[in-house]
Amino acid sequence: MSRWTRREFVSAAGAAGVTLAAPMARGQAKPRVVVVGGGVGGSTACKYLAAGAKTLDVTLIEPKPRYTTCFFSNLYLAGLRSFESLTHGYETLAQRYGVNVISDSAAMIDPSAKIVRLESGAALPYDRLVVSPGIAFKFGAIDGYDEAAAQTMPHAWNAGPQTKLLRAQLEAMEDGGVFVIAAPPNPFRCPPGPYERASLVAYYFKQYKPRSKILILDAKDTFFEQDLFQDGWNRLYPGMIEWLPAEFTGGVKAVDLKGRSVQTASETFNASVANIIPPQVAGRLAQQAGLADQSGWCPVDPITFESKLQPGVYVVGDAASAGDMPKSAFCANSQAKVCAFAIAAALTGSQPIAPHLFNTCFTYLAADDAVSDAIRFTLADGTIKIGDIFMSKVGESPESRRQAVREAGGWYDAFTHDVFG
Amino acid sequence: MIRSFPALWISVSLFVAVADQVSAAESDQSAQLAATCTSCHRLDGRDKGIPSIAGSDAEKLVGEMQAFKSNDSPSHIMHAVSLSLSADEIAAVARYLAAQRKEAVPP
Repeated sequence: MSRWTRREFVSAAGAAGVTLAAPMARGQAKPRVVVVGGGVGGSTACKYLAAGAKTLDVTLIEPKPRYTTCFFSNLYLAGLRSFESLTHGYETLAQRYGVNVISDSAAMIDPSAKIVRLESGAALPYDRLVVSPGIAFKFGAIDGYDEAAAQTMPHAWNAGPQTKLLRAQLEAMEDGGVFVIAAPPNPFRCPPGPYERASLVAYYFKQYKPRSKILILDAKDTFFEQDLFQDGWNRLYPGMIEWLPAEFTGGVKAVDLKGRSVQTASETFNASVANIIPPQVAGRLAQQAGLADQSGWCPVDPITFESKLQPGVYVVGDAASAGDMPKSAFCANSQAKVCAFAIAAALTGSQPIAPHLFNTCFTYLAADDAVSDAIRFTLADGTIKIGDIFMSKVGESPESRRQAVREAGGWYDAFTHDVFG
Repeated sequence: MIRSFPALWISVSLFVAVADQVSAAESDQSAQLAATCTSCHRLDGRDKGIPSIAGSDAEKLVGEMQAFKSNDSPSHIMHAVSLSLSADEIAAVARYLAAQRKEAVPP
């Protein structure tokens, strides 16, 4: 072989460099985690994936530019909080944590090819996928109540335009009107939510429309923190709130939009304003991607939150069927952190700690009267069980209820900072 | 003498590398534990009703956690958290939080 000229050597090395460099670059590329859904579960997962393991490439897919929290939205209905104070953007996740935020919807997931296809047509490959799609409503479960009917009788169970619509209807309602709440069957997002809503709307009525009534038509015979709510209603709003369990009415079966009435199995109730909270299942994408089982919710591994139906895909938040964990923002946040650490461990070799899962809720009975509960979860029999539950009690001092209000405000600030940065 | 020096240097650097890995893993695990705290506590010194616990004295934090463990009345969630964490985990997270500067960017 003759000696190479300098030009030949550079050229050959360059060519070899190209062919060698390509697989090397792939080998060295950061593992890709795609997160679908920018609510509490998805945003928390993004933040902790990006902040904890700087060696991961984290992408968030969310069509809306800003997220309005469902938790604390009953305070907006009562005129105690602005809509803006409940609304959060993704700027900090993008700028401080380097999350690649894509303003689009996930149209389809292909778990075998490990690709998410977006509505725009683009395909995103992933090494791990986190799906946090929240809830979908079982429209049709109540006769006459579909997505269009929600423009007349709002559910206001996804915060946003629906919440504003309900507030506008309550403001426009005449004094002496009847506000009907149809409370959903278990499991559903935010177990104390419908009853907190009744409490805070009563707080608003007491000031501005004191002759009005609130009627809760429940699909259940009991509800969460029932003794605390009923004590609060008797103390604060005597005679204003009536709760009818399913055993009395058979639950809400139909709505009549033109007649402004709500029908149970046994009776028809006229409603000046009707808030229909339908039965719920996991969000649309979870159903399409085969992540949900016959219950309508997504079974997950209790330690990693990996789907039991689609390997490599993780489900956190309300859509997940996570043992005894209720569908709350706090649980979504708690799950998303455990899930993020499990994914980081799988992709980067970091050591995850034993999961610690909690729930806590601050629930308002009035502007200066709040209660709280906290749950510590444990792993048992391959699922997540309630270890301990601690909650406020009937007969607590007014000062302890005011203290809970102060803590609740501080919690909202710190929690949304934890989720959205 | 001079010949043995590179071998010594390699063994020292290996030791440093292993020590770094150990402390990085421990720090990573403490950071994961501290993620439990940040669902309610800000770590940037701001306090709007729930104390910011970054930069607090580690022994004081351990003492407070022990008090929460024995009593559910001041805070339901702190009682639940204190029961969930082992003594070693409480000590580790207290050390981690004490080492955080109040103005530090939270995890």
